[in-house]
Amino acid sequence: MLPKLDYSSPRTLGELLELLDRYKDQAKILAGGTDLIVSLREKLEKPKYIIDIKKIPELGKLEYREGEGLTIGATVTFKNILENPVIKDRYSVLWEAVKTIGDMVLRNRATLVGNICTASPAGDSSPALLVLNARVKIVSKEGSREIPLENFFTGVKKTVLKPWEMVKEVLVPEPPKKSFGRYLKMMRVRSEDLSVVGVAGLGYREGGEIKIRLAFSSVAPTPLRVKEAEEAFAKPGPIEEKIERAVQVAVEKVSPISDVRGSAEYRLNLVRVLTRRLLKQLVEVV
Amino acid sequence: MERKKITFKINGEEKTLEVEPNKTLLWLIREELKLKGTKRACERGDCGLCTVLLNGEPVKSCLVLAVEVDGSEIITVEGLARNGELTPLQRAFIEHGALQCGFCTPAFLIVGHWLINRNPRPSREEVIEALNGVLCRCTGYRSIIDAILSVTKTEK
Ligand code: FES
Ligand code: FES
Repeated sequence: MLPKLDYSSPRTLGELLELLDRYKDQAKILAGGTDLIVSLREKLEKPKYIIDIKKIPELGKLEYREGEGLTIGATVTFKNILENPVIKDRYSVLWEAVKTIGDMVLRNRATLVGNICTASPAGDSSPALLVLNARVKIVSKEGSREIPLENFFTGVKKTVLKPWEMVKEVLVPEPPKKSFGRYLKMMRVRSEDLSVVGVAGLGYREGGEIKIRLAFSSVAPTPLRVKEAEEAFAKPGPIEEKIERAVQVAVEKVSPISDVRGSAEYRLNLVRVLTRRLLKQLVEVV
Repeated sequence: MERKKITFKINGEEKTLEVEPNKTLLWLIREELKLKGTKRACERGDCGLCTVLLNGEPVKSCLVLAVEVDGSEIITVEGLARNGELTPLQRAFIEHGALQCGFCTPAFLIVGHWLINRNPRPSREEVIEALNGVLCRCTGYRSIIDAILSVTKTEK
């Protein structure tokens, strides 16, 4: 049984923001429902009001503009993302990460913005979005603000969002020219599982030099970009040494815990193995 | 809690009724409409046994609120057979012995039908991928995959 609640489905963004402003933390936003309904049933969330945002057309925006990048609206599902040829082609790291989430039936409903707002340390789309330098557009009745995704997470399942605010869309800039990205995820079983460790990487060249961006899931209270490891590629030296230095820094910077999916030691070892594997793949391609 | 009036089509039949907003689509199907083919198990999106078609796409009905389906069309396993005649896929499940206790069968049929409609000649990998979200705890997946593939072959 779900707790008692009231339901509304506004037709415009203005109406929605009005409701959020009125109900504040008594309200929860419903998009795909794949996380929210579970938390309701497990009494982790006890909102008085559910605001269904699926009837607001502008939130379904999924748009790519050459040179500017990608806009992913609040009701865009993982299915929409996987079916988008531009994302598959130019944002391969995001496409790969989304492909590992849940299963095909779940991805029909689950949304990318929902995945971010749940702010699980194990969220798979976040590391990919982090290496793509994604930004989050937050709106409220008062107005709007835009922040880097890196500054969006504040702790386990916590974000900077105020109760009267919502994420309208995620903005993903055009990736560097000829960049190549991958997401590697270790799961306990071959499908339909949260990550034990996930690592996203993006490689590209700048002035002939290889540059790398790296981010992780399930190794810290929030999805984590590790810029210190990326800096290994800024210094001169043989590429093998840069990779090893980056791996070492990554291992130092993460702070995994032990849980049902794996022990902290196992996770640290996976960070070492997966980061090395990923970096080798990236430097081979770019 | 304010009850909401919803209108929807289920297995071709139009219905209008009032529901409490904290009821799920799964509850609507099983308890209100007494269609017991759709199964309730984990109720947290893991097992897929509650899968039905919502506007032509498979969804886990335990994760959808009943109020959300206003204006939608739902197909459950009861809506697959026409005039008492089983579909080729349903017959294939029998021929391949693709069930043991049968608890998972409605969900596999729903996903199987959806897949064949969308992609009449799926590869084995595509079938496996589509079935990823539904769990069977008895018989193993091979006979289920074989049953689906046998239909796609005869229909081409
Ligand atoms: S009962 Fe809905 S997924 Fe298990
Ligand atoms: S036949 Fe028993 S769960 Fe699949």
